[in-house]
Amino acid sequence: MDAIEVVDVWKKFRIYHDRVYSLKERFIFRNRQKTEDFWALKGVSLRVPRGATVGLIGRNGSGKSTLLKIISRILYPTRGEVKVNGRVSTLLELGAGFHPDFTGRENIFLNASILGLTRREIKERLDDIIAFSELGDFINNPVRTYSSGMYMRLGFAVAVHVDPEILLVDEVLAVGDIPYQEKCLNRIRELQKRGVTIVFVTHNPKQVEELCDLAIWLDRGEVRFAGPAKETVRAYAAFVNTAATG
Amino acid sequence: MTAALWQQIAEIYAYREMLRNLVARELRARYKGSVLGFLWTFFNPLFMLVVYSAVFSHVMRVQVENYAMFLFVALLPWNYLAQSVQQAAASLVQNAGLIKKIYFPRAVLPLSVVLANLFNYLFGLGILIPALLAFKIRLTPTLLAFPAVLAVQTLLVAALALLVAAGNVYFRDLEHIVGIALMAWFFLTPVLYPLEAIPAEVRGYFLLNPMTPIVDAYRALFFYGAWPDWGQLWRTALGGAAALLLALAGFLKWQRAVAEEI
Repeated sequence: MDAIEVVDVWKKFRIYHDRVYSLKERFIFRNRQKTEDFWALKGVSLRVPRGATVGLIGRNGSGKSTLLKIISRILYPTRGEVKVNGRVSTLLELGAGFHPDFTGRENIFLNASILGLTRREIKERLDDIIAFSELGDFINNPVRTYSSGMYMRLGFAVAVHVDPEILLVDEVLAVGDIPYQEKCLNRIRELQKRGVTIVFVTHNPKQVEELCDLAIWLDRGEVRFAGPAKETVRAYAAFVNTAATG
Repeated sequence: MTAALWQQIAEIYAYREMLRNLVARELRARYKGSVLGFLWTFFNPLFMLVVYSAVFSHVMRVQVENYAMFLFVALLPWNYLAQSVQQAAASLVQNAGLIKKIYFPRAVLPLSVVLANLFNYLFGLGILIPALLAFKIRLTPTLLAFPAVLAVQTLLVAALALLVAAGNVYFRDLEHIVGIALMAWFFLTPVLYPLEAIPAEVRGYFLLNPMTPIVDAYRALFFYGAWPDWGQLWRTALGGAAALLLALAGFLKWQRAVAEEI
């Protein structure tokens, strides 16, 4: 069974030139509400086999992030269907819901619960998360005293310990200094070995080749190429080069 | 639709730890940085009581005996409703950052507001009960009916909180309309006056207001040492449960587009 199945997904965004929220403006400008439809995804279909790591590549505005958000149910498709089998965790932002006045430890509970963990699950993982964050005694200080690197590390530590069956990642791998980044990549490899299905969006073709089995190249909301990571990266690179020179 | 609704309820339950943490954050963060801190939770109702009893025993005399307490037993639950609905209206819009980045059942946000205010009400009882004793109002076994009345009120508050939270995403004026509507509703509910003060010929209309039987029930069990009108309360409970299910169904439909409308 596939972990993720995307069937002919279309997504329309309505772009408001002047967003009108209030009653007065709605009444006054009722004929002037200018909107324009923008199709971010145009009939995207794909399957992600269980345990595979899939990279989504493409230029800015190609619909990568929109697709990721639809798979994670933050956005809903205008048309089409997404079937997901397994517990999903999305890494779009690290440290969601952190409260600056709470300690690192308290924020682990807050953040992990927003990611859908129960109290027992959080307690089981607490020591691992604190160890992974490398924050040491700072874990008992309020988060507002953290440097941005420490903040990201704590967020990342929680995120990779959610233990999802399906992990969706949107360019958050650039966390902390180089050794810490290496540690994060190792953690991703560890999750791969455990059979976690991973989909990640990136601008970095090298990372795709290194980490992914499959890759999908999106262009203006359509799948331009889908196949083994190396082939997709090659096709994409050829396209980018011709675009640059031609 | 029904299957989706039960699935939604199961999902909210699965996110109970998030609900718990948001409530704790709300209760603890509210008075963060103030000298008295969490004690404000008790001082607020206490000062309110002091002011009312001063005004109504010295400045403005009212026919009702022990008017300050007569008012106070109804005002605390009213504040539970009013503050929940007012804060819930802003709850989704205020958490836009979270909603755009992470999936979770969105209903958790307005529901956490309701629960935080529920706890505030319960803390308020820490002032109410001693005050009732100080004013020599006898506490009777009718207090046992309190959880039932509270449960009925909570059904209603949660339903309204969900509706205004979702509505405010699409129509931002709602937040302000809610403030005015709550004020009008306050005067139409027998909080400041007894139900008997309403002329008999229009009293029937006042009973259509679901807060009327609830406030009346609180007043009966705290102030008069009487049991609430069970028939009334039962009908309100059924209405409240139906309203909550409808509100959840509506919320389920509206929440789909919340991340892009916010």
